[in-house]
Amino acid sequence: MAIAVLSCLHANLAAVEAVLADIDQLGLDTIICLGDLVGYGPQPNEVVELVRERGIPSCQGCWDEDIIEGLDACDCSYPSQLAERRGQLAHHWTASQLKAENRDFLAGLPFSLRRGRLLFVHGSPNSQHEYLLPDMNAFTALERVDSAEADTLLCGHTHRPYVRRLNHGSIRVRVQKPAGAATSSSNLASSEHQLDLPLRRLINAGSVGEPRHGSTKATYITVDEDHDAVEIREVSYDVERTCQAILNAGLPPIFSWRLRHGFEYAERADDAAHVCER
Amino acid sequence: MSQILLISGPPGCGKTAWILKHFQAHLGPCGYLRLPGFADEGLQHAEDGGLDQAFLCDQCPELMDLADQDVSLASHATNLLACLEIPQFHHPAESGLAGIDRRLIPQLAALQLMPQCHLHFGRDNELPQQDTLEFSALEHHSLPLNGAVWDPDSLSSFWFELVNGAYGDIFRAKAHVNLPDGRGFLFNWIVSQEGSQFLPLLELESPHGRPTRLSRLVVQGKQLQLNQIQNTINDCLLSDAALELQQGPLRQQQQLPTPSP
Amino acid sequence: MAMWALLSGLRGNLKAYEAVLRDLRRERVSTLFILGDLVGPDPSCHALLERLRNPRRGELQPQCVVGWWDEQLLAEWGYRGRSRADGLRAAQGEAAVESLLNAVDQADMAWLANLPFGFRELDCALLHGSSADVSDSLSSDSSPLLLLDRLTRMDVNRLFTGRSGEQFCVELSGGLDSNLQHLAGVEEHHQSVPARKVIGVGCVNPGPTAGPSTYCLYNPGSDQVFFQQVVAQRGFA
Repeated sequence: MAIAVLSCLHANLAAVEAVLADIDQLGLDTIICLGDLVGYGPQPNEVVELVRERGIPSCQGCWDEDIIEGLDACDCSYPSQLAERRGQLAHHWTASQLKAENRDFLAGLPFSLRRGRLLFVHGSPNSQHEYLLPDMNAFTALERVDSAEADTLLCGHTHRPYVRRLNHGSIRVRVQKPAGAATSSSNLASSEHQLDLPLRRLINAGSVGEPRHGSTKATYITVDEDHDAVEIREVSYDVERTCQAILNAGLPPIFSWRLRHGFEYAERADDAAHVCER
Repeated sequence: MSQILLISGPPGCGKTAWILKHFQAHLGPCGYLRLPGFADEGLQHAEDGGLDQAFLCDQCPELMDLADQDVSLASHATNLLACLEIPQFHHPAESGLAGIDRRLIPQLAALQLMPQCHLHFGRDNELPQQDTLEFSALEHHSLPLNGAVWDPDSLSSFWFELVNGAYGDIFRAKAHVNLPDGRGFLFNWIVSQEGSQFLPLLELESPHGRPTRLSRLVVQGKQLQLNQIQNTINDCLLSDAALELQQGPLRQQQQLPTPSP
Repeated sequence: MAMWALLSGLRGNLKAYEAVLRDLRRERVSTLFILGDLVGPDPSCHALLERLRNPRRGELQPQCVVGWWDEQLLAEWGYRGRSRADGLRAAQGEAAVESLLNAVDQADMAWLANLPFGFRELDCALLHGSSADVSDSLSSDSSPLLLLDRLTRMDVNRLFTGRSGEQFCVELSGGLDSNLQHLAGVEEHHQSVPARKVIGVGCVNPGPTAGPSTYCLYNPGSDQVFFQQVVAQRGFA
């Protein structure tokens, strides 16, 4: 039986409603959400309440975490001062709007969900803030899936949907160590072996509420494990309704302009491997 | 023998770029004067705020300022190339020198800068055939940015938004901007051309606090949301503390002394 | 080409450091890197830190990075936001945290707080733990995928680490096929890894019962690693 996986709803009610309608029309009963229910968008309470009503199991996203724990996104998540100022503004607005029961719901969300050999996370198994981008180093992608003890890792956070199949590979490993009480390189113990790499899959669900894949349509994915099939689905929704809600809420008009043109509200660092020193 | 040219045309047609090219190709001394244009054309001219002149002076450090009467009235150096630039929307009624707006003549005569040649963009084939836009009923705004230093990535986002219409229907944007490492750039964009020009200024300031060179943003368009433009700019500009955070390591790299408080 | 000396795990022990310096006189060493753990719980650390800042005439000026012990100390004194020395507390208890606080003078804290996380020289990363975290303990038994990830994070082909205290060199090479399905279609990829290395530099002050004092020399011209052991100076801890 196929399941639907969605991520990064970002308080965009019109988009969430449209995606759920699409899932219902496909007849899928199992839906899993990879977090970021709130942030930037104008309807945080409405979106959290809809997810609660539908009983959709969710992981906690970086925005959900920050709203609960206080602004924790490290500076290096923001590529510019402008993006950081806008992110902070959106954070404070969302925090001021969110009802206590919805905040409690976000606080109770788990970091990850597991279903057999599928692992669901927001960013990566390491962190809600880490980006697993479609073109990232294949070995790094494999390390993230393998270290999570999963065959398939499902993530969001980048707002760009994709399926990366890590097929055939091997690593030749040569280890040298001092032999006994060695004091020079001439006395070394050396061993060598080949590691055949396992087959793994990395799936990114894209974004429902803040698409960034070159279109304004909401994206999510369906996974049919029985038939080894993954489909990336694009869903049109009433973008203007959300743009108007942004203006009505008193959020910056530039958020409305960016959403209408398919740009993320505030760009993020495009570096999966960036070193955060925090 | 000096040569005096009058170059006219609508905003964004490439007057300054054409003049720069000729100054750079000219072997003798060069002089420049930007005239303000006439408001009664029913159109608003963008207040240039000295941007074109500052850019030409940066690119041609020996450039003579012909607005200075001591320079313009002095006997002209041998082989001087003097270029007078004026924004003008309408095609001149007549060809050649006869097409010069009569109201200019007393001013030019007083400065002893009577042109030997008048070229107008869109009329004269000596000039590039640019798409000279109909700039009817445009508003213009000129925002001073002297002393302001931009966070480079924020500047890039702002310019992208500005020229893609996030702050209203934009036709033309031109700015001199300062970066924390002491570099300055001319950002230049017009709706009819593909992409923006980002031209580095030749003059570098040391990474030592705020630069002193002219800095300004000039925009023309319709229904421009000036408050939003200003708000975004405010979010892009570096505070003293943020500027020092970026300049300190640069000074260390260049082994420049730390400024005394 | 002159070599680099790389050491880690001094943990406040000046005599151990002096023994290494004596050892280095026999080699053509141009640069001295100390990959963290400058402070530790037992001795008074001030004399060592003073020497690192102000080498004697003829000694190399060491280039130091922050280590796990240094990080625990900085965290406990509030230099790392809300973090405290939780790692040390969990591993060795409250008494160890107390010993560490007592071992380091307040006057040395500002210098420790300014230590860099790591260096990148040529295509080498020089760190205490790894590019992921100062506490990351890489060893010859670490998963090859994990080691490759730590190299990729710094975009280098050589990574020198001191956290595990082990002397080792793991060389990795290989390839991996993948395909990428997105809305525009499917792309095939092949990723190959040129020979990349993770090198453990050993530990200068492993404690009286934990084996010899070790460090590492590296010739960046020939890419040769030499595992060194300070033989003459046992039992100085």
